[in-house]
Amino acid sequence: MRPDSAIKLVSELLDLPLLDTEGKYCGIVDDVELRGQPGRDLELKALLVGPGAYQGRLPAWVMGLVKTIAGDRITRVSMDDVETISSVVHLKRTAGELGLHQSEAAAGRWIPHRGAI
Amino acid sequence: MNPLELTLGIMTAVGGFVDISELVFAAKAGSQFGYALIWVFALATVGIIVFSEMSGRVAAVAKQPVFNLMRHRLGLKLGLITLAASIASNLITCAAEIGGVSLILNYLTGASYMLMAVAMTAVFVISIWVLPFQWIERVYGLLGLFMIVFAAALVAIHPPWNQIAGGFVPQVPAGLTTKELLTFSYFAVAIISAVMFPYEVYFYSSGGIEEGWGPKDMLTNRLTSILGMALGSLLAISILANSAQLFGPAAVDPEIPGTAALEAAIPFGKTGLVLALLGMLFAVAGAAVETCMANAYSISQFFGWIWGRRKKPWEAPRFTIAWILLFLIALSIVLTGVDVMMLVEFAVLFSILVLPLTYLPLLLLAGDRKYMREYANGPVANAFGWSYFAIITAAAIAAVPLFIVTSGGNA
Repeated sequence: MRPDSAIKLVSELLDLPLLDTEGKYCGIVDDVELRGQPGRDLELKALLVGPGAYQGRLPAWVMGLVKTIAGDRITRVSMDDVETISSVVHLKRTAGELGLHQSEAAAGRWIPHRGAI
Repeated sequence: MNPLELTLGIMTAVGGFVDISELVFAAKAGSQFGYALIWVFALATVGIIVFSEMSGRVAAVAKQPVFNLMRHRLGLKLGLITLAASIASNLITCAAEIGGVSLILNYLTGASYMLMAVAMTAVFVISIWVLPFQWIERVYGLLGLFMIVFAAALVAIHPPWNQIAGGFVPQVPAGLTTKELLTFSYFAVAIISAVMFPYEVYFYSSGGIEEGWGPKDMLTNRLTSILGMALGSLLAISILANSAQLFGPAAVDPEIPGTAALEAAIPFGKTGLVLALLGMLFAVAGAAVETCMANAYSISQFFGWIWGRRKKPWEAPRFTIAWILLFLIALSIVLTGVDVMMLVEFAVLFSILVLPLTYLPLLLLAGDRKYMREYANGPVANAFGWSYFAIITAAAIAAVPLFIVTSGGNA
């Protein structure tokens, strides 16, 4: 499915994993950004990724817990950067270029780069 | 299809089938109810074959592991509940496996149980860090084949084969008191849970994706699921039948995991005992690794992190931190001194509660022609899938009341 096709947001997009051009997982479609006016079609503008985008999808006390553990960062991925949507969302750029790599990079600083065959 | 790879895959599945819960419940079931619970093992084995095959097919065609599907199908809220329940279930199971390995090493060497728990957790962490994915899977799985000694022991003691064959027919023994009937029902639920542990499906489907399965691997998936699980289940049934023949008449309750090893000692002496303990050691150690990795896979897939043991540990940093932390938490549960048998009982209880939520999204996706195209479930796979979903849902509803009423089968 192309990103400009008609799409069922909940069953065909929300909570799908994102894959960048290097085939790396770089988050989940946690929420979406829509744009529109009364009497006009709604347009899907961006995918929102990160624990901050859970706001409104979880009870307040769970959201508080999520914020404490994982923070409330949100990364916005424009629909222009989406290549195709199937059982995953394929992106047109790398996670690094889209700002989707920060948490993974931060965790990487704790891991020694040796010892594996 | 590479025949050597296929054979190794099947043998790995056989060696990795039995874990501490199956070991304990098979031995106890045989001792208390003779051959009457064999059919439950057979029923649950067909169930795990159905769902493993489905998860492997989804991995090969939709290229999606179970937890990605779970969140997409169940939504964030219900998905999070399933994730939390699954983490709790797998953590308790992992702790039970670490406890089991430590007990077996304690029998083999006489070294302190707690010291063995720390040492084996270190061995697990180092082996997962250092070894490539296939080596990890194969080393534990293939060495677990020492468990074949239980099947050999069964042949050696000349059991009543007609009664064993009769055990495959669904039955409830006649003349049970209400209390015994409830205990029988609890054992049936526990065996379904132990055989159909959700971690097995998480691990299997994630492994399929790591190995880059595609539609061409459909036959490999089918043969590995069917033959690996069926032959593995025969080992568990051998433990049950040995126990029915040897422990039941002597009124021995195999309360601790080590008792099962005596089944091989009776016909084969010290050699049988050592082989049985080695088989149990590697099978349970493999299960400890699988439960921990399955948990790390689940968390990483749910949140869209980079995951996989085909990658070097530093190439999937959050996944690596997850499995190391999960091992440490499981170890700390063991170090509290909690009884291994209690961990086993809670592991089967938690797992059966998670099973319906684990298998529902898989069932929905495997039947979805949009994702699965011509590889979607046909009428037979759907009939099996939904029938088993009904069985595990009924078992999940009955599990907690039965656990309470029978004090975990010890009433």
